[in-house]
Amino acid sequence: MSLLSADALVKEFGGLRAVDGLSVSVEAGELVGVIGPNGAGKSTLFNCISGVVTPDEGVVTYDGTEVTGDPPEALARRGLVRTFQATRELETMTVRDNVRLAAPDQPGEQTVPALVRTESMQTVEQSVRTRADELLETFELDHLADEYSANLSGGQRKLLELARALMLDPSVLMLDEPFAGVNPTLTDEIAEHIRELNENGMTVVIIEHELETLTELVDRLVVLQQGRVLVDGQPEDVLSDDRVIEAYLGGGV
Amino acid sequence: MSLLDRVPTGNGDLALLAGVCCVLIGGLFALTPLRAQLPSALYVFVEVGILFVIYGLLVLGLDLQYGHTGLVNFGHVAFFAVGAYGTAMLSAQDTFAGIGLGYPWPLALGVGVAAAALVGLAVSATSIRLRGDFLAIVTLAAAEILHSVFVNFEGIFGGNVGILGVPRPIAALAGDADTRLIATLLVIGGITLVSLAGVTRLTSAPYGRVLRAIRADELVTRSVGKSTVTYKTQAFVYGAALAGLAGGLFALYNGAVAPGFFTIQVTVTVWIGMLLGGAANHRAVLAGLAIIMGLRLISRFALDVTPVPSDVFASIRLIVVGLILVTVIRYRPAGIWGDAQELGVDR
Repeated sequence: MSLLSADALVKEFGGLRAVDGLSVSVEAGELVGVIGPNGAGKSTLFNCISGVVTPDEGVVTYDGTEVTGDPPEALARRGLVRTFQATRELETMTVRDNVRLAAPDQPGEQTVPALVRTESMQTVEQSVRTRADELLETFELDHLADEYSANLSGGQRKLLELARALMLDPSVLMLDEPFAGVNPTLTDEIAEHIRELNENGMTVVIIEHELETLTELVDRLVVLQQGRVLVDGQPEDVLSDDRVIEAYLGGGV
Repeated sequence: MSLLDRVPTGNGDLALLAGVCCVLIGGLFALTPLRAQLPSALYVFVEVGILFVIYGLLVLGLDLQYGHTGLVNFGHVAFFAVGAYGTAMLSAQDTFAGIGLGYPWPLALGVGVAAAALVGLAVSATSIRLRGDFLAIVTLAAAEILHSVFVNFEGIFGGNVGILGVPRPIAALAGDADTRLIATLLVIGGITLVSLAGVTRLTSAPYGRVLRAIRADELVTRSVGKSTVTYKTQAFVYGAALAGLAGGLFALYNGAVAPGFFTIQVTVTVWIGMLLGGAANHRAVLAGLAIIMGLRLISRFALDVTPVPSDVFASIRLIVVGLILVTVIRYRPAGIWGDAQELGVDR
């Protein structure tokens, strides 16, 4: 039984079938890359799985239960956490608060504990702060902790988004183009973080355009085309597949 | 654990202390033979002061909704009116028109607040999922509908006359007019300060962090596991309940309610006060409200010394208020004490 699977997903926008009978599954502990040309349905697949949009047909299963159409907040609380393609920072909040926000199970997020400032809220907040500071340090954002996140550069935003997602201590981390618009040095750095997380047992799914980094990083590559799975296999096999070369490079090599 | 690492307490505790003190001193004036003397020149200040602390509750509620959570509520006066009518109709004795049930005033006040919260819940249940401007339209429409319900259901709400004969607990206890005014100002002002402490605690706790995250980006807040609809509903209902409390206190201070007290003018005043002071900062919105209401006070005196008729003067006052708002938005778009970075406005 795989940890996360999507079975025969269909999602239409108007007359466009963005995802057309797509099935993928991810085992616990895997590091899977999803690639495909623009409009292949990568982001829609992510949105369907993470509950941002509800698929028209098909079933999403996570950790043994069907979660099709469950809202993103419910999935996040169960450990299925995603990032966004165009980084979405909480720009009007500081870097520190961006990360602290994601802390799960904070009793101070309810009215009564917040009003009476319960002991448990203070204790939890203390550990939230420690954990958030650790993450900021890991991602070398600690010197920017008090900066509003609107002032961060593109690469720093990617790091912040990763730190924020990790605050939830996810079982499955779904990254939508974590290397887009990031310089090569930082790309290597982010890739290293991802590899480390995966080695420590986290299941990671990555959507990406940038092939080189991804093929070195992942255990398995899934290639999408026009809302369907084109090829699914080992990175070396996938990259030498004629259909992939045809689809990805437009055939004109 | 160093002091800095503690959950920020802000000035919430100070406000709580001051609020409780005010209520106690006010109670002392009302319950004991202690008397206050007020120079007659100060009457008008105390009267506007009482209205200010009542409106202060309104602006605190609105700031929780808009300043912190980003919910645009253009119908705030509706919840003020529901609280006032609820309290008045339950407690009024021998009202001239409409319904007066003559129950004890503490019960009536409780019911008034609950009624406002319930109306808030009903509006949220139908509309809280709407984005910014659409929620603004719904709340504006809801307020106008309620206003015309109050005017037109004469048998229930007393039409344009409203509900008379509402008990005035502080006036009944205090011996003379001066003591009554001072005690009212202290008691209601104290309640406003305690409410300030409450919202400060709420927004400086992790609860407030979630609210501000919703204002910044709702989808991100959901994707880190927060049920944003629940938080938005809560913020809206709390704001409505505070407005209901303001309404109930107003009814018990004024001794009567009528549709004329609950026009869109109230919503406009509170909004201008909030934007002038700086949204998302509790003390700033109160200060902004003080400026706009102080202006009204000044203009009352100015009317006596200017040679123009009062209707012309009223127009001039509106022009001045408009100019001040334009100036503030032009030069300090986040309000006088607002944080431009936190509100995401360009300077």
